[in-house]
Amino acid sequence: MVCVEDACDSNPTAMVEAVFRRIHHERMAGLPICNSALSVAALGFQRWQGDWVGALVAPWTINLLMLPGGGAFRALSVGQTQDWAFPSGDYTFMGSREPGLGAYQFCSLFSPVNHFADQAEAEAVADAALVGLLTAPPEATPPPVDRRAFLRTALGRRASA
Amino acid sequence: MFRRAPAGGVKKTNEGDTPMTDTFYEVLRRQGITRRSFLKFCSLTATSLGLGSAFAPKIAHALETKPRTPVIWLHGLECTCCSESFIRSAHPLTKDVVLSMLSLDYDDTLMAAAGHQAEAILEEVKRKYKGNYILAVEGNPPLNEDGMFCIQSGRPFIEKLKETAADCKAIISWGSCASWGCVQAAKPNPTRATPVHKVIFDKPIIKVPGCPPIAEVMTAVVTYMLTFDKLPELDRQGRPKMFYGQRIHDKCYRRPHFDAGQFVEEWDDDQARMGYCLYKMGCKGPTTYNACSTVRWNDGVSFPIQSGHGCIGCSEDGFWDKGSFYDRVTDIKQFGVEANADKVGGTAAAVVGASVAAHAAVTALARARQKTGIDTPKGED
Repeated sequence: MVCVEDACDSNPTAMVEAVFRRIHHERMAGLPICNSALSVAALGFQRWQGDWVGALVAPWTINLLMLPGGGAFRALSVGQTQDWAFPSGDYTFMGSREPGLGAYQFCSLFSPVNHFADQAEAEAVADAALVGLLTAPPEATPPPVDRRAFLRTALGRRASA
Repeated sequence: MFRRAPAGGVKKTNEGDTPMTDTFYEVLRRQGITRRSFLKFCSLTATSLGLGSAFAPKIAHALETKPRTPVIWLHGLECTCCSESFIRSAHPLTKDVVLSMLSLDYDDTLMAAAGHQAEAILEEVKRKYKGNYILAVEGNPPLNEDGMFCIQSGRPFIEKLKETAADCKAIISWGSCASWGCVQAAKPNPTRATPVHKVIFDKPIIKVPGCPPIAEVMTAVVTYMLTFDKLPELDRQGRPKMFYGQRIHDKCYRRPHFDAGQFVEEWDDDQARMGYCLYKMGCKGPTTYNACSTVRWNDGVSFPIQSGHGCIGCSEDGFWDKGSFYDRVTDIKQFGVEANADKVGGTAAAVVGASVAAHAAVTALARARQKTGIDTPKGED
């Protein structure tokens, strides 16, 4: 995994998992806010407009994650945010930085995650969220113009006529 | 301090006619508010309701054409912090509009009248606007000893509350007292202080919890109800979704530290100075539904976590009986997370259907997109 100036040139899944596993074992160890049925998993990382987007399942949170890949990603400090226009709508991501990962941004989906029964459930929801994020909602297409109905109205005739 | 419209704002009509009331806009102009300021208020309200600027003309139109709705504001067992919050709404025009124009006809703390005169106004509003006024309740009625622990106008508050509620259109339960009971209902609750929805059953009730609720949330809720003539969308607990749909934790500016496992370990340590997450110091942000981390307080200047103290969860039911403010959130379930729409599987069933997962995901995405109130990160490091 090579990151040049914080921009990942290849899929960052392994790197994300390594960093958050370390956080899990070192800093989050034994905290009751962690769901012991869950473990760290980075899911579905893919390029999106030059940068990387994916989902993170951890025993204390499920987030959407963005990492720099050469797109519009800005390295932000804690407290700063960046707005992203995904096909499903506009999302505000928070900035953060972590040794071994560099600058990253996240958008919280669930935290705490104690109500997830197991890892499969959490990953299913995270996967579905990523699909939902990148899918445009179906547009409400107006019904095609009915020529007959149009003329009826235009000529002031009753529909039953 | 506050300009008030004459009680009722009723135009003189022939005896027996239905009273003709002014529109909000008419009263507003009479008070010397310019049209420009009025439109500014409309756009501010649209934004704080999360409706987007496209809704501003709709709000303006409603305020221009609809007769103003009187609001009766009763006080039970409470500390008046809700009123204190309400009159400090960030936008100067908000308090002008809401206090003066939206016909806050009876509020024993804010009104100039007192004694028999005040009670006469209450009777007049109840009579003239039967079935059409909004009842805002701050505090709650104590039921023990036949309600003797809160006496107003020489009789128990519970009687006044029930009588006034009988002819109202809807009830706003201001603050945690009216919504949940709050500290006066703390075990063993000697006065049997009881939230409004447990004594009034036949009216729509909207809960705006918090101790106190955020001023902008209060004015936005009132304005929404007066503008659209309906309650905003409520969650299962009866709170407006637009302001209580997210946890403090979801949009907390210290959230990146939580996710990275960076916590304050004791007060005034280096991590505290670096603004790390306050979860280990008892912050209830992960289990508290409110808009403090987005709308913030005092014109968006700050909120408790930004000031270095954890959230005490003052808008959650039973927060006063759930141990110390400094105890860590351990039993997540007791704080009501399970009662929220986040619930995924429902049971410990191992397999979750794809449609259930998709639904949970869509709900989470919608919540993530939601922009509550005016995010003004002023005063931030």
